[in-house]
Amino acid sequence: MKSYEKLLLENKAWAAERVADDPTFFTRLSKLQTPEYLWIGCSDSRVPANEITGTQPGEIFVHRNIANLVVNTDLNMLSVLQYAVEVLKVKHIIVCGHFGCGGVKAALTNNSLGIIDKWLRNIKDVHRFNRAEVDAIENEDDRVDRMIELNVKEQVMNLAKTSIVQKAWKNSNTPHIHGWVYGLKDGLIKPIFEMPAGTHIDPIYEYDNL
Amino acid sequence: MKKYIKNLQSDLPASLVVFLVALPLCLGIALGSKVPLFSGIIAGVVGGIVVGVLSGSPLSVSGPAAGLTAIVAAAILKLPTFETFLLAVVIAGIIQLILGFLKAGILGDYVPNSVIKGMLAAIGIILILKQLPHLVGFDKDFLGDETFSQADNENTFSEIFKAIGFITPGAAIIGMISIAILVLFENKKIKRNSIVKQIPAPLLVVAIGLIINEVLKVSNSPLAIQAEHLVNLPVAKNMSDFIGLFSKPDFSQLNNSTMWTVAITLAIVASLETLLSIEAIDKIDPYKRVTPTNRELKAQGIGNIISGLLGGLPVTSVIVRSSANLNAGGISKISAIAHGVLLFASVLLIPDLLNKIPLSALAAILIFTGYKLAKIPMIKEFYYKGWGQFIPFVVTVIAILLSDLLIGILIGGVVSLFFMIRSNFKSSVLVVNDKNNYLLRLRKDVSFLNKPIIKSKLEAIPANSYVIIDSSRADFIDKDIVDVINEYKEHANLKNITVEIKKNDFNEMQDSL
Repeated sequence: MKSYEKLLLENKAWAAERVADDPTFFTRLSKLQTPEYLWIGCSDSRVPANEITGTQPGEIFVHRNIANLVVNTDLNMLSVLQYAVEVLKVKHIIVCGHFGCGGVKAALTNNSLGIIDKWLRNIKDVHRFNRAEVDAIENEDDRVDRMIELNVKEQVMNLAKTSIVQKAWKNSNTPHIHGWVYGLKDGLIKPIFEMPAGTHIDPIYEYDNL
Repeated sequence: MKKYIKNLQSDLPASLVVFLVALPLCLGIALGSKVPLFSGIIAGVVGGIVVGVLSGSPLSVSGPAAGLTAIVAAAILKLPTFETFLLAVVIAGIIQLILGFLKAGILGDYVPNSVIKGMLAAIGIILILKQLPHLVGFDKDFLGDETFSQADNENTFSEIFKAIGFITPGAAIIGMISIAILVLFENKKIKRNSIVKQIPAPLLVVAIGLIINEVLKVSNSPLAIQAEHLVNLPVAKNMSDFIGLFSKPDFSQLNNSTMWTVAITLAIVASLETLLSIEAIDKIDPYKRVTPTNRELKAQGIGNIISGLLGGLPVTSVIVRSSANLNAGGISKISAIAHGVLLFASVLLIPDLLNKIPLSALAAILIFTGYKLAKIPMIKEFYYKGWGQFIPFVVTVIAILLSDLLIGILIGGVVSLFFMIRSNFKSSVLVVNDKNNYLLRLRKDVSFLNKPIIKSKLEAIPANSYVIIDSSRADFIDKDIVDVINEYKEHANLKNITVEIKKNDFNEMQDSL
């Protein structure tokens, strides 16, 4: 059996087990999704949103990219954000990074890796904003871990700067934004930073005519 | 004590609403049970005050239950006197008290959901069928018990058709208007109206029925309903007269075996209904309080002993009144207790007013209560849950309709047990295939009982296939099963079948695979 054939076979088994446990599972979910969460996570294969949070299909709306970045010109991310906030009306947005993130590590070096350099520049900016704190950490692993936490915090703030989030905060007092970091070594999530709906940010980023 | 006083301003208005909901139900349930209407009120008062004081539940309201009407009506026919029935109520209370001390409260958790819902649906159907004649003013007394075929060569359906010939037009009109009001109040848009929300629909039905009939009477209309189709509570002129209204149980019937059957049935069904209602009300309690079930059984037992001694119907915790209590803002059990006091005061002070209520209005309330127990969406929900839930549900309903509640619950329980064992059995082995690729997965506990299934499934895999036997998700695998798999592995190449074993390296039981 070829390896991809195993995926198809496992899929059949999975679907059969689902139906056995809950006969209406697929008929119910095929009609609508009402997720309560938007997950912005890293593409890393070791951080699957549903598995680590014990959630089922239908519960989390997911966007993943390298190093879980929220970039204000990223049409893909912005489209996901708008749909999740304005149509699905999610109550929480979770930005979840993970310790040992290759993207953050690479951004802290001076190697050019090709087109990804442009993407990782956003992380270099995070380093620049926090240079004093990060450079004071002597152990290299600890320094990377702290950068991963600061990166998540920065992305949470980037979300708060979008007109999509500001509009939703004003109109419906949701969503609540959370910044988390997942530990590859122990499987545990560490909450880093959060912004309840309506939190004030640097005034220069606050739109007053939404 | 302090906490009760603090909540009085929520609990007292709630108690008024519960009283207004309970009053027509107490009368209607007594009517459906074919006992003096006064005994429904007694049960309401005892359920409110006695059970309310003793119970550990903050929101539950006890009183005569629609779910018991079928049993009571049948028992009244079978037993020689009403006083014998009262003895059965007292004994049922003693049994409940004992069940409470034996900590039987947990037993409620063992009755399958499909059987409980089936029981309620069957009760609902019985209520509807039996009350239809009352709705049109055919209040003859030989309407029979909960079985279909009856001693008088009639059955439930022929009774209904017979009733058509005996319609009391005035009663029928009030009955239809009552049903219309109840249906209208169920409408979501109307329910949302803030004024409508404050009015308990059953009370409105009773009030409108009463007013219509009074208007008919005053205008000398031939449609005006005669006294025989109205509530008939005894009116006491003075206190000793009032005390004379209470019946006493007949203790000379202690050796009557039918009485014992009735008592045991009452004890079981009343306990079940109580536990079910408690579970339901705890689920919707905004403060998420949990009612101690054994204490509840004891409280219900004492309630039934007292209700029986005073000449009242058996009581249970009732979901309709309890949820009315919650929706009306009740916080502590003071509201349940106060509703009992209000019931007592009403028969004492305004029996003349209560006696103007048309029976067909009460029948409408009961029919609607019955419909709520046997709603079509609920039946659909069970259908979509799969045969394992639906068949026990349907079997319970049919068995209860064709025999009686206790036998029906037992039959439903057995059928449901069968399906539970079957599903556990089936779900531990799963086989899927994608063309010639097969996956046989073992889950949960795989005992020697699964051996024939696994063997036949493996043998059915055609030649030239690739088979993954996945045991990594099994908690337990019998030695016999390991042997079957190992044997299969050895001779599979004869059919040119490749076998791959996927196992959990941390489960010692799977080492020999």
